[in-house]
Amino acid sequence: MNDKPHVLLVDDERSIREPLAQYLSRNGFRVTAAADAAEARTRLAGSAIDLVVLDIMMPGEDGLSLCRHIRESGDLPVILLTAKSEETDRIIGLEMGADDYVLKPFSPRELVARIKAIFRRVAAGGVRQHADGTNYAFDGWVLKTGERTLVDREGVAVPLSTAEYNLMLAFATRPNQVLNRDQLLDITQGREANAFDRAIDNQISRLRRKIEDDPKNPRFIKTVWGGGYTLAADVRKL
Amino acid sequence: MKTVRRLLPSSLAGQIILVVAIALFVAQAVNFAFLYRERERQLLAIASAPAAARIVDAIEGRDRSLDRMERISWSAAAPVIAGRRRPDIEQRAGTMLENAGLEIRSIRAVEQERPHHDRDWREGRGRFMHGFRPPRDALYLSVELASGRWVTVQTRLPRDPPRFLGWLVGQTLVLYVIVLVPLLLVGRRIARPLDDLTRSAEQFATTGAADPVMERGPGDVRRLTTAFNAMRARLLAMLTEKDRMLGAIGHDLRTPLASLRVRAESVEDEGERARMSETILEMSRMLDDILSLARAGRSMEPVQKVDLAALADAVVEDFVELGAKVDMTETARTVASVKPQLMKRALRNLIENAVKYGDRAHVELVGDTREVRIDVKDDGPGMPEDRMADMMEPFTRIEESRSRDTGGAGLGLALVRAIMMEHGGELRLSNRPEGGLCASLVLPVTAVD
Repeated sequence: MNDKPHVLLVDDERSIREPLAQYLSRNGFRVTAAADAAEARTRLAGSAIDLVVLDIMMPGEDGLSLCRHIRESGDLPVILLTAKSEETDRIIGLEMGADDYVLKPFSPRELVARIKAIFRRVAAGGVRQHADGTNYAFDGWVLKTGERTLVDREGVAVPLSTAEYNLMLAFATRPNQVLNRDQLLDITQGREANAFDRAIDNQISRLRRKIEDDPKNPRFIKTVWGGGYTLAADVRKL
Repeated sequence: MKTVRRLLPSSLAGQIILVVAIALFVAQAVNFAFLYRERERQLLAIASAPAAARIVDAIEGRDRSLDRMERISWSAAAPVIAGRRRPDIEQRAGTMLENAGLEIRSIRAVEQERPHHDRDWREGRGRFMHGFRPPRDALYLSVELASGRWVTVQTRLPRDPPRFLGWLVGQTLVLYVIVLVPLLLVGRRIARPLDDLTRSAEQFATTGAADPVMERGPGDVRRLTTAFNAMRARLLAMLTEKDRMLGAIGHDLRTPLASLRVRAESVEDEGERARMSETILEMSRMLDDILSLARAGRSMEPVQKVDLAALADAVVEDFVELGAKVDMTETARTVASVKPQLMKRALRNLIENAVKYGDRAHVELVGDTREVRIDVKDDGPGMPEDRMADMMEPFTRIEESRSRDTGGAGLGLALVRAIMMEHGGELRLSNRPEGGLCASLVLPVTAVD
């Protein structure tokens, strides 16, 4: 009856839930609000929801548990609202399968941008990356998604910048696939490349310096003629 | 004086043992001095008595046989005998002769060493003759009688006393074994529980948690341990309570902030909206800093081996992505055992400061034999030397006015310092000679592999 995307907003705080629901409505979404996990489950069962915005800290069943439930029963995109704390970095990496998260206090515009980016990826054929606590191992290296770091053959952590990490994750989840710049930009940053964009090439060479024995003659991240890169390695999920 | 102090033992048991050893040695030395004096008197008597007796015999004409062996000679003047005068024997023998009722005008004692060739010959034979003892030095005692005549007798001096010093050393060593070994055992019994206490207290100081100490050792040490354990339990309870409270405060303050942030979006005036969201963000950042600082030293993050060069590079790169003027000198891999999220946070704070106050940040990883540093240099005005220590205290900012236009609650450096202390390192500030501030994250080389 209407083609607006349907967002389920779950937050126990009325002072956040109500104005946020209004804001999302004004920005082109159909919004259903739920005050707790139980209500959210009812709404999920009763209507066609396209995406869930979920507060982690809630009395009763918390957001993480609900998120796991959603992930088990389907492929519904989830964005977590979380307070920044020492726990955050750890929790984000745990098995909760959220698509994205925003730190409180968040900018509603930012939230809308993230929601739109997820919808665009879904529309583009499901090139989404969940942070679901899976680690990826290839040739002695381990990409730890929780800590956003690589661990080398000697067990030494080699921290990555945000962009490097996103790129590495894109490769690790798609080993031996050729990915062109546009695809990499879309996967890692959710934006379109412009003709002069060298950002991906810079990130690739930085990543090579960190993981290749000889960055000039790469063994893992190879350049494919005709515009693209590929991770030439067998990747195991841990 | 310093070297002496360095050589002295610093431990309780070591010091007790050293003091007892010195006291024992002094007591032994005093004892030895008395013994030595007594022995000297005896030796003197042994040396003087035979000669004095022989003089009495000679005067009384009792022993003619000795004349023939030239052991007694008479002369009108003082005989000339080569050798060493022995005034001690002269005095002692004189007293003896006077006690025997003889009147003497003067007395002279001379010790004469056996000529060497004579000795050699005798000793050579002595090897064949079983039980033959090496010859002794001769003593000539001359006495001028009341009549003016001199009588000279010859006797043998007793042999050199046995090694008295060696005997003292041996005796002292035996005493040492008897006294110091039990002392060492007692010392260890006291020292071990004290060691445990020290280790636990140190662990508590660095990590904010420690296992209770086993109660053992002597009664007073055990009471100390009990008291320490009670204090530890109380501190832990307080720290846990603090964390719980801070967590609750953090959550309860963030919710209204988040609500405010959402509502701010509906403000029509764009400039006003931007200012509001900036203020809310600022409050949220301050809240983060306060919570982090309050939790300093109690981080749950595990220590792990990290390539510091890659860590610094990753942090710098995140700034570059956002368009900040930050660069880094490329450095070879440097592995250290750290808490990577905390180290990143510390470095981010320093870079933020450098960009805010010093326009740009230049990051460099420097290592030598003592420490590894991550230097963050800027081109700003630097910092007055006398304010540097203050600046690392919480809620201190470079402008005394506490003006808000440069942002921050003055917690950044305090947090960095707390993080570095948790790593056993330090935050070091200095003004660069070419201008600008250099803030360094310093790790001891023990953290580096």
